[in-house]
Amino acid sequence: MSDLSNNALCVLKVLETAESLTTTEILELARKKEYADICTDCAGGDSFVAAANQLVEKGLITKKFGKGGYRWQLV
Amino acid sequence: MATRLGMILMVDWTKIRRDFPALERKINGRPVVYLDSACMALKPRQVIDAMNEYYEMYPACGGRSIHRFGKDASEAYTAARGKFAKFINAAQDAECIWTRNATESLNIVASCVHLPKGSKLITTSLEHHSGSLPFVERAKRDGLEIEIVKAQNDGTFDIEDWKNAIDSKTSLISVVHSSNVTGTIAPMKEIVEIAHDRGALVMCDDAQYAPHHHLDVQAADVDFSAISVHKMCGPTGMGVLYGKIEHLESMNMMLYGGDTVSDVKFIDGKILPEYLPPPEKYEAGLQNYAGAIGAGAAAEYLQAIGMHEIEKHERSLLQVALQKMLEMEHVHILGTEDISIKTGLVTFTVDTVPSAHDVATFLNDEYNIMVRSGAHCVHPFHYQMGIPIERGTVRASFYLYNNMDDVKAFLDGLETLIEASV
Repeated sequence: MSDLSNNALCVLKVLETAESLTTTEILELARKKEYADICTDCAGGDSFVAAANQLVEKGLITKKFGKGGYRWQLV
Repeated sequence: MATRLGMILMVDWTKIRRDFPALERKINGRPVVYLDSACMALKPRQVIDAMNEYYEMYPACGGRSIHRFGKDASEAYTAARGKFAKFINAAQDAECIWTRNATESLNIVASCVHLPKGSKLITTSLEHHSGSLPFVERAKRDGLEIEIVKAQNDGTFDIEDWKNAIDSKTSLISVVHSSNVTGTIAPMKEIVEIAHDRGALVMCDDAQYAPHHHLDVQAADVDFSAISVHKMCGPTGMGVLYGKIEHLESMNMMLYGGDTVSDVKFIDGKILPEYLPPPEKYEAGLQNYAGAIGAGAAAEYLQAIGMHEIEKHERSLLQVALQKMLEMEHVHILGTEDISIKTGLVTFTVDTVPSAHDVATFLNDEYNIMVRSGAHCVHPFHYQMGIPIERGTVRASFYLYNNMDDVKAFLDGLETLIEASV
């Protein structure tokens, strides 16, 4: 049983698909059918990004700000 | 004029800022710049103390228990309603119903008001979901027609659109007084006049208006008003439904149960309730006494400062922020630039940072600047403007405890963000 929220699990699952992704890319992917079972709260994106920030605090992913905004990456 | 000027000069905004303990907090050794009051206002000590007093001194049921704690709770609860009624200039205290939030207030009206069969409801593309969905669902439930008045792209309304939409079939209008996205203030006087001329009721969403402007429900002549207490320095989980007494008396009840009845008879095997008039009719079950007391304290706190002074203070901050942002190459403002018809908030996008959440995260991480990102529960207007919901917009909102240092920090943060993102 994971202690991570569905939003956090969704971020991790989406990030598995690429070396790194921007916030917009993650949110766009999260709305796709293949993630529909787990990514249910991503429409507005705010709670979703909050979950991603929690994953950074847990040391599971990193984020770096640069051209175009943040890029997120699995550790 | 001289008296008004004197009053403005007398407000000590620095002293007012010290009333808010959350602003004393330092994060990573830096002060907090709180610009998310349109979502949740900070609480002054006066409100916190009033609520603590209830919990520490008389934490009992109001309106039921005859002991001293119960008496104190009942008196404070009743007094709080009176303070709130005074704050919005309701004709009588019973016109103020305590609810959990503005959303509940809007739902009570949408569900409980009597509307003729085949009549038409009107709402707008600028409504918060809480101002549109209860009416969309009511229309579905009863097979009523619903028409959407489209806001202009700057968040204002063309009064001709209202004249065209409101007809003799129209029974109820739900309209946001001050938008939580564009900050624009709707021409309520004109809308109410047209509506009443044609026999329609007006439900006004004052969640963003009441905390920042002087709301006089009698002068506005609205039939209903929904207010969020947590946006006006009061506690969370508290709202107010204002309704003209004749409407509140005739409407159906939302919840049934304890405290809504004068008696429940048992005759010939039947349970026969005799319901109380408003406000008790709408306040079933044990109430949030501390919340109501906090709401009364918040109303009293704001009124003592003066709503006109608060409005002026916020606009003075907004003016500087807006002016500088308009000069920034990559910043795009959503909504009118005319601050005379605007609440103290600015919503924007940054074209070098597609996700509004990135802007909010950067400002928070680097500067402790707290703004809101997303679609702000107003998806239809974002769709209207062609802004993808997942990208959203950023909203910075000002309140009475903000100052020019906050504005400067926000603008500096925004400039740094743009430099780092191009």
